[in-house]
Amino acid sequence: MPEFATTGPIAHDGSVHISDEPVTGHDLSATGALGQWWVLARRLIRPSWRTGEILTAILAPVAFTVGFYVPLNLVMTVYGHGLSSYAQFLMPMIVMQAVSFCAIAAAFRSATDARDGIDIRFATLPMPRWVPLAARITAAAQRSVIAIAAALVCGALIGFRFYGSWWHTLGFLAFALLIAIALCCGADLIGSVSSSPEATTQVLVLPQLILGMVSTGFAPADQFPGWIQSYARNQPVSQFVNGLRALAGDSTGNAGVVDLATLGPGLAWAGGILVFCGALAWSHAVRRTG
Amino acid sequence: MTASRTGALPRVNRPTETLRMLVPQTLIHTKRLLMRWYRDPLTVMQALVFPALLLVMLNSVLGKQVSSFAGDNALYGSVPMIALVSVMSGSLAGAVTLGRERGEGLLARFWVLPVHRASGLLSRVVAEGVRIVLCTLVIFAVGVALGFRFTQGPLAALALFAVPLVYGLGFATMVTALAVYTAKAALVESVSLGSSMLMFFSTGFVPLTAYPAWAKPIVANNPLTHAIDTMRGLALGGPVGAPLLATLAWSLGAIALFAMPAAYGFRRASRY
Repeated sequence: MPEFATTGPIAHDGSVHISDEPVTGHDLSATGALGQWWVLARRLIRPSWRTGEILTAILAPVAFTVGFYVPLNLVMTVYGHGLSSYAQFLMPMIVMQAVSFCAIAAAFRSATDARDGIDIRFATLPMPRWVPLAARITAAAQRSVIAIAAALVCGALIGFRFYGSWWHTLGFLAFALLIAIALCCGADLIGSVSSSPEATTQVLVLPQLILGMVSTGFAPADQFPGWIQSYARNQPVSQFVNGLRALAGDSTGNAGVVDLATLGPGLAWAGGILVFCGALAWSHAVRRTG
Repeated sequence: MTASRTGALPRVNRPTETLRMLVPQTLIHTKRLLMRWYRDPLTVMQALVFPALLLVMLNSVLGKQVSSFAGDNALYGSVPMIALVSVMSGSLAGAVTLGRERGEGLLARFWVLPVHRASGLLSRVVAEGVRIVLCTLVIFAVGVALGFRFTQGPLAALALFAVPLVYGLGFATMVTALAVYTAKAALVESVSLGSSMLMFFSTGFVPLTAYPAWAKPIVANNPLTHAIDTMRGLALGGPVGAPLLATLAWSLGAIALFAMPAAYGFRRASRY
């Protein structure tokens, strides 16, 4: 028994004209789903350009670069960090910071949609359940590309250079984007489950602080207090930073070797987060109850 | 007896705008604001937990390097700096609460009640002061646990706690003046970006000599730098007079400049 649309014109005697065309059918075909995904993605992308929200994606790496590189450059250069310049050392962290701001924005977005009831509204519409999730991730990926580009411009201005071969450079960009999408996926899940934009962004700042600061992004692991060194060396942000640093290379050759031992843990973390959070987000999106 | 208690509502049959009523009513309002902050876990986190963690992180990640560059313990810069940052982010949370109360019509509700007109704004100043002292105490307690010491005696230590109070009240006056006139989302973002830039370009983060030549004048004239230098002097020893005068000039200047707009804006916000 197909469902019928009940939005037909109301006749003069008050009866509702019921269309005999079923709502489902054509709309769920492959092209329809793709079209819906594109419409919903544009729903998130276009206003972000108009309201200047995208400016945050550009400003975050700029503020981070100015705030950390300018004061710390001389201090860290005097103390020593092992690479040719502090710009080269700090660059992966600028990318990580840019990307993590995108993740927080993604969480804010998905929490707002969940709070306003848009998720429930979409769940009642004739479209595949994964479409809103895919649209949000697409918008987050778009924002991440812009943020990574802004981070690279900041890096270039303070003296960061790619020293590896062209496919190392390509790998750097691909790895950065993979991390970005994995983090956005996790943040999107947290946002849509919590459905409180303010609380989510506040709560996500803490892991960003703890994971971000206690990593090898600002200073080498051996400069940390002894009790925290092994954590600082092995936590995911450090693994991401190590991978990116090796892919960027350095004129001193101390940036690390591009091999499975350097890249493996970071790739495993990113892939793991993507699969785990992706699966949970999928099952959350597919659930029909509001 | 019972009939009079349930029957007639309490009546106001004498002037309420008296100085005698101002003090108790201000205290009631102050208590309300403090309870509200205390019961909002996000505000407590933003004003206390987040800065305390930031201090621990900064000290464990960069403390050693900055200490060896500066010649004395980096904590004497970072503890005052984080205390002032927590005071600023607390003020911002207060401004957001004010905006929300205006939006919900609570301020207008108080305005039609027989409550002294000045108690609304005055209670915010008092509550702000209490919160500033509390934030400073917590951050300095964390600092002492990490190795910060008051080497200049109890009087200097006491004076040290007055610095964030003066600075914080100046900052709060400015934020309140902005909050009663402008939209809150843009305000929060721009003020928090501005205050984190103040933090990165202050002598609490790294010593003045570590900054490149173009940034030195910015760092040297940053109001945060003056307050931090005063507090460093009061804890570790060194010149206090000049930075103290500069701190007072900045803070009292902000109060003088923004007090009237804040009061007018508050009055306007209460009446619609």
